[in-house]
Amino acid sequence: MDKQLDLLQGTLDMLILKAVSLGPLHGYGILLRIQQISKDRLEIQQGSLYPALYRLEHQGWITSEWGESENKRKAKYYRLAAGKRKLQTEAEKWNRMADVIAGILQSTPEEV
Amino acid sequence: MRIWSRIRSWMRAVARRSRMEREMDAELRFHIEAFAEDLVRRGVPRGEAQRRARIEFGSFERAKEECRKAHGANFIDSLVQDLRFGLRMLRKSPGFTVVAVLTLALGIGANTAIFSLLNAVVLRLLPVPDPQQLVQFTYTGIGDWNSYFDYPQLERLRMQAGMLSGIFGGVGVNQVNVVWRGSAGLAQCDAYTDNFFSVLGVAPQQGRLFAPGDDHEGADIVVLSDRYWRSRFAADPAIVGQTILIDQLPFTVVGITPPKFSIYVGGARDLWVPLHALDRLTPDPNRWQAPFTSWLLIAGRLRPGVSLEQAQAELDMIHRRLLAQQLLEVEQPGQRMRQFVSASHLVLHPAANGMFSGLRHTYALPLELLMGVASIMLLISCVNVANLMLARASYRRPEIALRMALGSGRTRVIRQLLTESLLVAGAGGVLGLAIAWWGGAVLVRMISTGDSPVPLDVRPDWPVFGFTAAVSLAGGILFGLVPAIRGTRVDPGSALKQGAHGITGPSRFLDRVLVAVQVTLSLVLVTGAGMFLRTLKNLQGVDVGYERDNILMFSVDAKLAGYPKERAAALYRTILDKAAVLPGIQSASVSIVRPVDDQYYLVDIIGQVDGRTLPEAERVKVAWNAMSPGYFPTVGTPILMGRDFDLRDSRAASGVVIVNESLAHRVLPGQNPIGHRLDGAEIIGVVKDSLYGGAREQPRPVLYRSLFQGQGGTDPGEWVGMGAVSFELRYRSGAGLVDEVREAVASVDRNVPIFHVKTLRAQTEDSFLREHLLATISGFFGGLALLLACLGLYGLMAYAVARRTAEVGIRMALGARRRGIIWLIVRETMWLVLAGAAAGIPLTVWLSRYAKALLFGIGSADPAVFATSVATLIGVAVLAGFLPAKRAMKVDPMVALRYE
Repeated sequence: MDKQLDLLQGTLDMLILKAVSLGPLHGYGILLRIQQISKDRLEIQQGSLYPALYRLEHQGWITSEWGESENKRKAKYYRLAAGKRKLQTEAEKWNRMADVIAGILQSTPEEV
Repeated sequence: MRIWSRIRSWMRAVARRSRMEREMDAELRFHIEAFAEDLVRRGVPRGEAQRRARIEFGSFERAKEECRKAHGANFIDSLVQDLRFGLRMLRKSPGFTVVAVLTLALGIGANTAIFSLLNAVVLRLLPVPDPQQLVQFTYTGIGDWNSYFDYPQLERLRMQAGMLSGIFGGVGVNQVNVVWRGSAGLAQCDAYTDNFFSVLGVAPQQGRLFAPGDDHEGADIVVLSDRYWRSRFAADPAIVGQTILIDQLPFTVVGITPPKFSIYVGGARDLWVPLHALDRLTPDPNRWQAPFTSWLLIAGRLRPGVSLEQAQAELDMIHRRLLAQQLLEVEQPGQRMRQFVSASHLVLHPAANGMFSGLRHTYALPLELLMGVASIMLLISCVNVANLMLARASYRRPEIALRMALGSGRTRVIRQLLTESLLVAGAGGVLGLAIAWWGGAVLVRMISTGDSPVPLDVRPDWPVFGFTAAVSLAGGILFGLVPAIRGTRVDPGSALKQGAHGITGPSRFLDRVLVAVQVTLSLVLVTGAGMFLRTLKNLQGVDVGYERDNILMFSVDAKLAGYPKERAAALYRTILDKAAVLPGIQSASVSIVRPVDDQYYLVDIIGQVDGRTLPEAERVKVAWNAMSPGYFPTVGTPILMGRDFDLRDSRAASGVVIVNESLAHRVLPGQNPIGHRLDGAEIIGVVKDSLYGGAREQPRPVLYRSLFQGQGGTDPGEWVGMGAVSFELRYRSGAGLVDEVREAVASVDRNVPIFHVKTLRAQTEDSFLREHLLATISGFFGGLALLLACLGLYGLMAYAVARRTAEVGIRMALGARRRGIIWLIVRETMWLVLAGAAAGIPLTVWLSRYAKALLFGIGSADPAVFATSVATLIGVAVLAGFLPAKRAMKVDPMVALRYE
């Protein structure tokens, strides 16, 4: 299973929130962090990352400010704002969903 | 918190748009560069790394666009962007912009101008509270109806009606002479019952209006209109309480109405006196009791919640009961009167937009028709602009393709193109409003006959602004949407490749359909214009039975200068004597009714021929007039038999009359009428038939009486004192004549005003005003429609020729003749015109039913008019096709073949 997985609809927001919850990051950093955590198994359309960031900021889950990057360049950093709770509920929802789906997929003829 | 942050970010986005744009740009660039750096670190060459980073990132512009959208700033943001871009694009092609905006401005302006007149004449509600409760009373008779009642009816209705909160009645006193501080001036006066203002719910601007008890025979109060107060008394509040003279009788001004108060369309009144002031102004002892007379308008206000039908049922009962009672009181009622009493019913008409108005009656249908014409004109304008847009869209295909290739969504591009259309429409609307402002005033002047323009307020008000905005918006979408949708149906790849030539595009089917539609609509307008022009020509060509040229007329009313009835005749005679000897005057006369009169139409019934009383069914209804000797030679009506009146026909002599051919034929068929007697008066002459009321009439029996003699020994003052008389002067040279006439009249009595000064030619033209209006405006639109159709055809053909350059080149290389090439192009325009005409003829026939009532001497489907219109259109088409065809003819085969 080395093939990269396409991102499920609606999960990008959660992944961004998770990535940012570990410390402030710029957009490219978020991309790298997600790839790193997922061990390069998730494919994120680079162009779609930014609209998601803007949306989350617009909704108030994250905030941004300009700072300096590792190689001394100006970059925009995102950090979690009200998103902690959001991340929690999203993660719970996701886990419940994953459980349910896993349960369904593991079910045997006898159980039905 | 979340909502607040949303609003904050949205506001920030709007307020700091350019900063946001910069930051967004920097952020995305940083991303790509950082990505490229990483690739370089992994050993990819720098150039290749940058390329790959950009490809991986995807469309930069689309990402930005989506970020903007995500930030909520998108709508306003993109609107501002679209507007700026649209303005830039329009500036870049000023030719297109000017033509499109002008075309639309004409369409919208014409619509708005006519709508503002329609609004003022037909639609606008009276400026009083709850105008929809107002009703005007009318009654039916034997096959006709009337809105003038007798006074007992008003009294009875006021007393017994329970469904109405108030009923008032009144009548025009017409022209009066108002003297204040020694200077005289004419004014329009009405007399109404004392509840007039309170039922309407009008509050005074100054002083007071009528109050209960004001309406009595000695009534000497008067209310001024705001307009008259401003124009005559310079809006001086001190006039309230002062005394003015109306027809030399003192009246005290008690108050001023609010501005704009009026209950008629187009008939602004200057003064109101209580109804019974008529006893002082025009005494008539029978007025208040006489049944079966009609001189009094009645209107009222329904109680809240009462429907028109309920009120009408109640009022009709009262009306019919009184009629039956009145019939009993008449000695020996005639057959017709009995019939009338059993047939008559009272009918209520909504009066929310004013009492019955002659102006509205005359112009409602023409204006509605012209509204239709203007709508078609607007449709043509829209089709024309749509065509321009289509052509433009195909020139812009490379640009649109590029934008879509760079990641713009199709809806986004359509929205942008629509914004451009709406910009054009908006500019057209603003300019159109300016045109309407000017055009409205022109229209009002066109329908004004009197000494001053009809008092209509056609300045754009909110309904008019709303109308214009709606029309512009609808127009913008109408002509913008289809080209936008079609223009964006491009495959970016192929469009970009072909783009260099700039004139490729999808099939031109839609364009052809649009041009054909234009031809169809133009045919409707051109044919309509043809019918109205024909109508006007027919009317002008009618032999009315008198000569129209070199006759000057003016009116005088002795009453206005305070003359009692008995002295009026002497005054008129003195004026006539003075006028007849003015230099350049061939002959002069005075009469009650003037030729083509718009004030009087006198009718009477002849019941006795040579002493034999006619049975009721054989009585002759005649129109009549009374005049001085010399009337017939002056207006040029030949005397066929006998003689004119002369001064021997004095008061002492027995009555003499002159009849026209129709009357002679009717009462004394096959006999020489001279010497016979009608109602006791001797026939002394027979004159040629003339049309009493103007060109639209058929000849009818007319009786002429002697103005200075009186009928059967009665006092001539009875006739001449009842209103104005008209003088007719046949002149050799008209230069300075009007001033000489004024001086002559002033030399008799300085206080006698003259009015309705007009040549017979002008009076005749004025009587065709409605037809003139229809012919002029529909002719104007017809011409405009032709011009636009010509432009549309020309554009289409020029485009076709450009597109077929290669084909033409091949044909010519293969030996086609130049004439054949011309024919190739002209044939195509011909087909379009014929297709358009084929659809236009039935459409016009169908639409012309509505115009039927306005035509004269021509059917609504006149073949000659249709043939002329189609021929005109074909002519225009040939013209439009010929220029492009000539260009095609000049194609050099070698150049053409290398062209693509």
